[in-house]
Amino acid sequence: MSETTSISVASAWRLAATHALPVSIAIVVAVFAVAEPAFLTPDNLLGIVRQIALVGIMAAASTFVIMTGGVDLSVGPVLALAGLVAYFVLGAGYPVPVAVLAGLGIGLFIGLLNGAAIGFLDLPPIIVTLASLSIVRGAALIVGGPDLHSIRDQPIYSAIGTGSLAGIPLPVWIFAAVVLLLVFVQVRTPFGLLVAALGENERAARLSGHRTRITKMLVYGLSATGAALAGIVLSSQVHTASATYGPFGTELDVIAAIVVGGTSIMGGNGSVVRTVVGVLFLGVVSNGMNLLNVPIDVQLIAKGAIIVVALGLSARR
Amino acid sequence: MIPAAIREPVIVGRGLTQVYGAATVLDDVDIRIDPGEVRALIGSNGAGKSTLVKILTGAVRPTAGTVEVVGQQVHLGSPSEMIGRGVACIYQHSNLAPALSVLDNIFLGRNPTRRLGLVDRPRQRREAQALLARHGIQIDLDVPAGSLPAVKQKEVEILKALALDAKVLLMDEPTGWLASADVANLHATIRKLKGQGVGILYISHMLDEVFAICDTMTILRDGRVVAENAVADISRARAIELMIGRQLAAQTKEASEARVSRMTGSVRLKARGLARNGVFSGVDIDLNAGEILCITGLIGSKRTELVRAIFGCESLDAGSIEIDGAPIAVKSPSEAIAAGIGLVPEDRHRDGLMLGLSVSENLMMATLGRFRRGLLLDRGGMATAARRLIASLNVKPASETRQVRLLSGGNQQKVLLGKWLDGRPGILMLDEPTVGVDVGAKAEIYDILRAARDEGAAILVVSSDIEEVLAIGDRVGVMSAGRLVSVHPAKALTASSLVTMIGEAA
Amino acid sequence: MAGRYSILPLVGFFILVFAFFSFTATRFASATNIENLLSGFSFVAMLAVGQAFPILLRGIDLSVGAIVAVVGMIVFDLSLIFGVPGWLILPVALLAGAAAGALNGVLVVYVRLQPFIATLATLAAYRGLVYSISGRQLVPELSTTPLRDPWIIGLETYFDVGRFLGISSIVKLPWIPLSFVALLALVAVLQLVLSATRFGRDLFAVGGNLEGARLAGINVARVTVAAYAISGACAALAALFLVARLTTATEALGIGAELTAIAAAVVGGVSLQGGVGTVVGPAIGAFLLGVILLGLTLLGVSQFVQQIMTGVILLAAISYDRLLALRVRRAGPSL
Repeated sequence: MSETTSISVASAWRLAATHALPVSIAIVVAVFAVAEPAFLTPDNLLGIVRQIALVGIMAAASTFVIMTGGVDLSVGPVLALAGLVAYFVLGAGYPVPVAVLAGLGIGLFIGLLNGAAIGFLDLPPIIVTLASLSIVRGAALIVGGPDLHSIRDQPIYSAIGTGSLAGIPLPVWIFAAVVLLLVFVQVRTPFGLLVAALGENERAARLSGHRTRITKMLVYGLSATGAALAGIVLSSQVHTASATYGPFGTELDVIAAIVVGGTSIMGGNGSVVRTVVGVLFLGVVSNGMNLLNVPIDVQLIAKGAIIVVALGLSARR
Repeated sequence: MIPAAIREPVIVGRGLTQVYGAATVLDDVDIRIDPGEVRALIGSNGAGKSTLVKILTGAVRPTAGTVEVVGQQVHLGSPSEMIGRGVACIYQHSNLAPALSVLDNIFLGRNPTRRLGLVDRPRQRREAQALLARHGIQIDLDVPAGSLPAVKQKEVEILKALALDAKVLLMDEPTGWLASADVANLHATIRKLKGQGVGILYISHMLDEVFAICDTMTILRDGRVVAENAVADISRARAIELMIGRQLAAQTKEASEARVSRMTGSVRLKARGLARNGVFSGVDIDLNAGEILCITGLIGSKRTELVRAIFGCESLDAGSIEIDGAPIAVKSPSEAIAAGIGLVPEDRHRDGLMLGLSVSENLMMATLGRFRRGLLLDRGGMATAARRLIASLNVKPASETRQVRLLSGGNQQKVLLGKWLDGRPGILMLDEPTVGVDVGAKAEIYDILRAARDEGAAILVVSSDIEEVLAIGDRVGVMSAGRLVSVHPAKALTASSLVTMIGEAA
Repeated sequence: MAGRYSILPLVGFFILVFAFFSFTATRFASATNIENLLSGFSFVAMLAVGQAFPILLRGIDLSVGAIVAVVGMIVFDLSLIFGVPGWLILPVALLAGAAAGALNGVLVVYVRLQPFIATLATLAAYRGLVYSISGRQLVPELSTTPLRDPWIIGLETYFDVGRFLGISSIVKLPWIPLSFVALLALVAVLQLVLSATRFGRDLFAVGGNLEGARLAGINVARVTVAAYAISGACAALAALFLVARLTTATEALGIGAELTAIAAAVVGGVSLQGGVGTVVGPAIGAFLLGVILLGLTLLGVSQFVQQIMTGVILLAAISYDRLLALRVRRAGPSL
């Protein structure tokens, strides 16, 4: 076998793998549009984006974690706790910005703790964030109990999740803003390059004089802050805060969006933009299946299968 | 004695070829070992020796070629098949299961069993004890292998191979980790096996050993067999010439003759009494501006550990380091870099490169600080600097946006070198800088290093490649068992005198 | 024997914690409470024992909770909808669990997925499967019907040891649940497999030195699939006893069980670095967790704090594991 053929086979795979997702989105959209005319209406399409905004915010913010070869399983409880904290701060009579900052702050704090255990103590990310999933959920239940807390008479806070600007719901704007910010960070800052370097080759990054532990810590801080933001948007959308929000499976949705987008679970290769594509893909699939009245169990199985296929493809690369 | 006419070779490889991406590591290699023959496999770094061994053990499947064991064609790329046919190997690196006992490790993957898959421990122990007695080895069979010192672990690996009743035994640098008394023991074992009709392939850098123990030799250069001789028919000088090629040999000679004394520069890095418990001790180094100091020695002489400790990867237990006369304590690579030290690590894929990132990103990885503009990264400045470096290093293809993964080994190594040349660290340490690099790129890398030296850089090169050491070194240090035994001006050395010196130091 | 040294401190710590709660919490050392501990945490111990196998291979199995639910639902369907006799259901259930586990192994070996992502994906898929085969939804009128098959309900049996020994008049001994006896048998068998069979040796070799194992001719793929299958079968066994106890199966069976199982395995001295561990350890680890959680309950601590404690114990256990690994690396030969 000559060199050129082996290279072109490899690059053909790469080409297929990088363009597989947009192509499959197009195919899925076409199938749904034919099967269910209601799918391709502007209302439904906007609905899809609004539905995916929450997972999208979390997935975009968690992309860097996956890029460093780690994982954050604790996003669900963080989402719940942030909403609760915002609720209580509002209840104590503080203005909305303070409540939002408090919610984001608790997320950042938890994330930095996760990151410190992973970066500085060299503990495995799966276990650390699994433990923190349990701890944060317990903490949220202690703070808020198992009940729903309704957020009333807070028009400004409620606007975060229910308002709209130029006909587009605010959560979608927030999602877009988060994505733009993170893309900018990834492409234009030293931190972004360092995240990729760390995931590509941590030893080499350290031998190049980079403080990899701090970078790791920040990455988990960012992920949890994203989850907290999603929690605030959610509590504003549904006018309630509860310790049970972000149930088991939330972290799976987030990870699924990232890896289906094509960010390598082994670290390094990845981008926020790909995550957005992954979020869109899963959103379209789930919306289409809902319209076609596909039962929830088949949807769950399909989700598992999609992850396996997407990762199986990327393992071939 | 079996008449030669009906003696069937124990193993025959034909047309073995291995291609990795753009690089041909092994090119149409034939090899044959008769029963009771000890065949040496020699060649400089990157000649393809370990790839050939990996094919013969089934660890990798070759791109092309066939292997026959005792006249039977085997399915390639399957370790269990090779073991089943009686091909055993003692590897350079550990292949033990650390939590299992020595006894279990000796029979790893083929423990004798009774009913229900239960391991037949009495039988296992009986066989192991017989083995120990036969080869005069003493070792506690019941301790976990991971708790043994490195030398003892190697003995377990040897036992593992011996327990197979192998027809073919491959030994990859078997003495790199042994003291001379143990080497004698090992050679006695080899003679015994030879008497039993085992065919042995002996891979070694140590020509002394090759001439002492081997009957025949196969010399590899750049993935090809360049000579097959009876050891008795070849001189040591001729063997070296064949290993490195006449042209490079001449260049080496020329370079060492043209060399001027370069000890006149100021001392950039001064180390005294460097020690790391149980690894190396009492190492003094004076590295001058405008010189290349090479440190050579056997595998396992702790040269890599030494440069890694100087670079702050591992902590020092004793000793002091001065840079330009100022004492400095380096606790991490970032501090070493701040002090003007650079390190090109031995394993460029594991420690050096970010394969998925671009050439420009890799080149600037150690000096990113230069391109910080507040919170932002000056991508334009990075690209400009990268293009300049790519031109001066002659990296091909000349594209700063290309993924490093897509470059050849030699060009990857140039990128790794270039990482330190633009930031101009005054002190550059390189660990085996040309392993797995083709001859052309090798010469270019030498030129780059010489040019950096002539501009006043202080360069320390760790290398096992005698010819490399003589080609670029201004001074040569010999390290053995964690000590820097001696330092000589390169001008006074020849390949054979250096080889002798390394052998004596061990 | 591999890893035995890590058992003694664990047992010591277990006794210490047990003594602490015996003194501080009234009713802790009572027969009823011990009975609760034995019956409530034998399931957890079964899951932890199974979990030890993937972790020994440097893997992890996040899908055990979902496998518990799938197997539970299979038992429900076979017994109530199809009227299959219990003696047939038991082996079918174990096989189903082993098959679900083996699929994890196949994804890890042949699709080359990272263990946590493979088992996270099957977690979702198996949970979905539970809903699609849920007899409670397929035949709603059965949803309140309890399981009655004697083979299944019989699993929830207690042995009055005190009476058997004739000392029940002197001291009140806890009744021993069958699930605990089954656990002891499981531990005995699997410990034997681990320490005395060829498969066990191969498992330690693959977990401790993957490349070395491959070069020694060990069939790494088979060992891996088998390890995940054992984890699945253990989950199935746990499901059987759980269903017998509840006399029904629900869709939510085993949610979050993987967390406790992993925690118990790590607490029990199975190293996440692979290649080091036992089967006895995770079983003790599970009961240690049980002692702490039950003790806290008796002290009046809320169940939410227990959730926090589970996480904290898991963190403490991996930190300890990490510490041991560091110490070994410093003491051992540098490579």
